[in-house]
Amino acid sequence: MRSSTSSSEKIRPILGLRLTASDRPGVAQPVPERDIPGQPWRLITGVSAVLFVLLVGGWEWHWRSFGSQPATENSNGLWARERRRIDTGDGRNTVVVGDSRMLFDFDLDTWQRLSAERPIQLAIEGTSGLFVLEDLAKDPHFKGRILVGVAPQVFFLGFGFRADVVKYYHKDTPSQRVGQWLAMHTVDRLFGFYNADFALGTVLRRQDWWPARAGVPTVKEVRKLSVSAPDRNTEMWSKVVDDAAYRSLVQSIWAQRFGPLDAEGKAKLEESVRKQIERAVVVVAKLRARGIPLIFVRPPSAGAYAEYERRDFPRANTWDALLAKTGVPGVNYEDYPDMQGYSIPEWSHMAAFEKPHFTTALYGAIARQNPEFLARKPAP
Amino acid sequence: MVFNSLTFAAFFAFVLFVHALPLSWTTRKVNLLLLSYLFYCAWNPAFVVLLWISTVVDWFAAQKLVRAEGQASRHTWMMLSVVVNLGMLLYFKYGGFLLANFATAMTAIGIHYQPAPTDIVLPVGISFYTFATMSYTLDVYFRRAVPARNFLDYALFVTFFPHLVAGPIMRPTELVPQFEQPRRGSAEQLRFGLALMTLGLFNKVVLADSFLSGAADKIFNDTAAPGLVDAWIGTLAFSGQIFCDFAGYSTIAIGAAMCLGFAMPDNFRFPYAAVGFSDFWRRWHITLSSWLRDYLYIPLGGNRHGEARAYLALMGTMLIGGLWHGANWTFVAWGGLHGLYLSIERLLRERLAGFRPGPFAMFGAALITYLMINITWVFFRASSFAKAWEVLRGMVGANRGAAPVLSGYELLYVALIITGIVAAHWVMRARTLEAVVARTHPLLVSLVWSLMAFAVVISQGNGNAFIYFQF
Repeated sequence: MRSSTSSSEKIRPILGLRLTASDRPGVAQPVPERDIPGQPWRLITGVSAVLFVLLVGGWEWHWRSFGSQPATENSNGLWARERRRIDTGDGRNTVVVGDSRMLFDFDLDTWQRLSAERPIQLAIEGTSGLFVLEDLAKDPHFKGRILVGVAPQVFFLGFGFRADVVKYYHKDTPSQRVGQWLAMHTVDRLFGFYNADFALGTVLRRQDWWPARAGVPTVKEVRKLSVSAPDRNTEMWSKVVDDAAYRSLVQSIWAQRFGPLDAEGKAKLEESVRKQIERAVVVVAKLRARGIPLIFVRPPSAGAYAEYERRDFPRANTWDALLAKTGVPGVNYEDYPDMQGYSIPEWSHMAAFEKPHFTTALYGAIARQNPEFLARKPAP
Repeated sequence: MVFNSLTFAAFFAFVLFVHALPLSWTTRKVNLLLLSYLFYCAWNPAFVVLLWISTVVDWFAAQKLVRAEGQASRHTWMMLSVVVNLGMLLYFKYGGFLLANFATAMTAIGIHYQPAPTDIVLPVGISFYTFATMSYTLDVYFRRAVPARNFLDYALFVTFFPHLVAGPIMRPTELVPQFEQPRRGSAEQLRFGLALMTLGLFNKVVLADSFLSGAADKIFNDTAAPGLVDAWIGTLAFSGQIFCDFAGYSTIAIGAAMCLGFAMPDNFRFPYAAVGFSDFWRRWHITLSSWLRDYLYIPLGGNRHGEARAYLALMGTMLIGGLWHGANWTFVAWGGLHGLYLSIERLLRERLAGFRPGPFAMFGAALITYLMINITWVFFRASSFAKAWEVLRGMVGANRGAAPVLSGYELLYVALIITGIVAAHWVMRARTLEAVVARTHPLLVSLVWSLMAFAVVISQGNGNAFIYFQF
């Protein structure tokens, strides 16, 4: 057979390396050779396994000492799993959307006890509920009712820290679904360190000893604040309540947001509030056209966070305007004495033991004010 | 299914178990084939049909081709394979791109044409398995190989899960003969294969995803123009990320195949120690570069028809190689830049035929090669030419007044990791990993292996897809 290469295309092999197709132009490539280094592999594997177990054990001990216990990771896969319930028979259920306040403060067990129906928890931390509402508005399977959490900063600035979760749900592959199931039945149950907050890259990045770079602001990232159950029934992590230093750290992280706005900042904020309300008007109209009722819910905040919200997000321009322009009823904790006075350790989310009280109060307020929301027959 | 996932860990454990069962060789091959289809379906079951089409068309084309009597008939069967495979690739990978460029061309001549959004989903691995199946028919056409003896061996060659979705791009002559005799991974192969898989996962999960991707993303996804330091560190971070991501994948694939008793070829040979660009392409994505050389550059004439034709063939091959990576003109520019580098090197080599550089000159040339490669990575990573120019301007210090973007931590760790990678490549440039491991004390091997596995576990990779999955 005539060679299809000229002499100048003959390649000199790289000394010391195995020959590859790059050294053999224009010919059928032979079966590759792979050598096993001459070593006592049984011993190496055994020693490696023992060291690995010791290292992982030490890491687990460290994070358990820090206060972490095995819990379901609040991953995109977990959210997608709950979201899929709408497509697989629970499309007439109550759905909870919103940000971390609605996620931490709303208790699925209490609501189920009061209404005989377990809602689907789709609230996501740092993410405006509008992202999920816009997705539900397009889903013909959904025929239930919606409680929409509104934390002023997240909602009216249109924060989308984890908005990509909606896209994840739509592209979720069989492999990812199996992976989520496996994680829930293995690592989630075994390891306290299995949490995005304790990942190697995150832990290293958050150390204080790195050199600062002039001109790059040092921003402290939000820390682990919650623990979740397999159906995303989520509550505040006990460390935030019990550990004063950790609680102070969380408060100092929130305080980074409380700086005063200049004229340009105020103008941008007003523009953002206007845009988010417009967004809400559009999506509410779509949902209502399909007979889906909604209620906006403003869970409580406290301390410096509440002061900041009152200063930068005055109720008349935000909450009241939202209700007026969308025509959706709302429950604002400021209007209900039984929704005030809760323990809110880091100013933004309530302690776990308060969840049932808040949820009971919320249910009562809706039952009194909007009984049709609870009594309605699901849309056909 | 991605290698860096719990799903793959469970899947691979099951594969090892099934492959170790005392069943006939044919039954074990059928098991491997079915499990490989399961591996593919775990991403999107519908697209397995394309894999079947590619498999069946090339099987029949090669069968007919080998029995064809006239050259025209042989040519027709070969073209059937090329048209079907490239047709699928064109539609699924370049459909939207071609339509968008057609609309732009129409607008340029005054005809307003707005195509409906195509929303075509790119089937994972299509660029890899179409090249693998085409190499089967083309090897038979070029009379380099005879067709496989049975369909099972051939189908398993196309579908064998370790190389299916992101290579190494196997040739039929490399893998089909391995299916002809019963194979089962030995205890040594299993252990060293697992060590290789750990090394690959360390590259992907720890270095690429946990450390390098963040700095690269900040520079290339940020709307602000980067300054000198940020532009360079972001680009260097990407050079490390793309290597660790893709070489990591190849290493896991090689390790997985080894655990089952099969050998796969090297896809990388410490490319950042390359001295010159032809050396780089003999070290980077070897199975693609050699594929392009054997099935594109040489058929285009190679260097058998004079200098001018050789340069044209070289440039054409690199431009198409660039486009293979993605439906975007920035990839074409990336390939074109490599073509230009290779052409200049070819020219210099002829002029400086007797020049033999010393060790310091070699090291200097390797560094210059690496820096020039980094310039090409800007086009590879940037989503548009506007962003690429912005980063390139930053790399020459032309973005005056640019605010710093990366933190001190990011600057430090990118510098450390990239220095480590380049130094390791230089040390290893004429060695194999196996040779170095063979000379290392067993306890040190154990320590490194366990530390890598530990780092993988505590990095908690969230199953990020490998970069080359999008190609």
